[in-house]
Amino acid sequence: MNIIFKIGKIFFGIFSSVGEIVLFFFDCVKYLILDKFYPKIFIQHLIKIGYNSLPVVGLTSIFTGMVLALQSYTGFSRFSAESAIPNVVVLSITRELAPVLAGLMVAGRSGAAIAAEIGTMKVTEQIDALKTLSTNPYNYLFIPRILAGIVSLPFLVFVGDIIGVFGGYLICTEVLNFNPVVYLQNTYNFVQFLDVFSGLVKACVFGFIISLMGCYHGYNAKGGAQGVGLSTTYSVVSSSILILLTNYILTSFFFDL
Amino acid sequence: MRKLKINVNKVSKKFGDKVVLNKLDLKVYESESLAIIGESGSGKSVLTKCIDGLLSFDTGTISFDKIINIKDLSFLKMNKYMSKFGILFQNAALFDSLSIKENLMFANKSENFSDILDEVSLPKSILQEFPSNLSIGVQKRIGLARAILQNPEILILDEPTTGLDPIIGKQINLLIKGLVKKKKITTITVTHDMESVYEFSDYTAFIKKGKISWYGKSKDINKKGNLSLSNFVKGIN
Repeated sequence: MNIIFKIGKIFFGIFSSVGEIVLFFFDCVKYLILDKFYPKIFIQHLIKIGYNSLPVVGLTSIFTGMVLALQSYTGFSRFSAESAIPNVVVLSITRELAPVLAGLMVAGRSGAAIAAEIGTMKVTEQIDALKTLSTNPYNYLFIPRILAGIVSLPFLVFVGDIIGVFGGYLICTEVLNFNPVVYLQNTYNFVQFLDVFSGLVKACVFGFIISLMGCYHGYNAKGGAQGVGLSTTYSVVSSSILILLTNYILTSFFFDL
Repeated sequence: MRKLKINVNKVSKKFGDKVVLNKLDLKVYESESLAIIGESGSGKSVLTKCIDGLLSFDTGTISFDKIINIKDLSFLKMNKYMSKFGILFQNAALFDSLSIKENLMFANKSENFSDILDEVSLPKSILQEFPSNLSIGVQKRIGLARAILQNPEILILDEPTTGLDPIIGKQINLLIKGLVKKKKITTITVTHDMESVYEFSDYTAFIKKGKISWYGKSKDINKKGNLSLSNFVKGIN
């Protein structure tokens, strides 16, 4: 009986958290329509989440492209299909690896920072102070961050696509002695609009998840430093799990197109 | 003739199973300074947060001037209601990513802040500083300046001298006394510091087990026979 009670409690906890996150999101939409928008804060976060994440996303993408080229060569050379490597690299990077890896990196970098900043503001009563200073925390803190997440991730992923493909090109031409012109021509001829577009759509969704989770967990931080630490952990873990889950759902959706 | 400003009527508030406010009644009158004292965890801060709308309460009513029950206010009206309060938070709650000038601009954009900085005895050069570079005593002065800049109808001071050494604490008490008497703002002070009570509070409410156990003039605290209050005051002194 005790075990059943505990399992039930866990499930109720999960459902109640999902409900709270959905309500939090609806509140954001409501206040975006009803209350003030802060463009300056939005641009600041666009720079923080987007521009400042470029180095980490760039590094991740170039090494992923390089490793992908090497591993593909190992497999494809066994049945003399080396010419398919540019196709595999561009397809894997644009459809899958760039959005997912950029999402996970930004979740660790910016999602954690959002949760920590908002969590600290919560436990030090700065959010209460905002309310009494006639400033809605949804409009001042959450909406600019969520919109910045949605806008900046596709930009990061697009840059990641280019750098990732370049990583594969670098390995193939410099290490595996591919003809550079043929490699680029194969890449260009093979890639389709939907490959890039599906990756960018995924990026929008991941950006939304990362910033929403950061804001939600930060806003629900309790206690002191420990509470802020927990909210940061919850933010990164929940964002990462949701990125992997929604990645499957979106991949299935684009697979049918 | 005292004019009623806030009427807290049988307000209850629970956190989980823990009853923090238990059908509590309290009246706050215009232009008077009320101190709320009580042990840690007795519900003092929760009560002020229910009054200023930062926390919702479970049952009872809180009326403010012509507002019958603040619980019935819509979101936008609640925002307007909250702006009637200037609050000095326990840890000042300055926005640490913003400079002091930007912090003060949140309360009032049209000021040049010279007068208010004079009133809280701080130099104008402090406007370019960030909160993390300032001592907690200075942060509280800025917090007080920010609260007053809003031109609030009610000033709420949450533990204004907690965490300060006795000398700075006394300075803050004298500063608040000067401002409260000069501006005649209705003030609610949550405190453990009896100096604050004697220095600038006209009336005092002693809260125990979620109810007001004693209410009267601050100068009568030591006269009236309330054992819990006497023990509390002796314990502190």
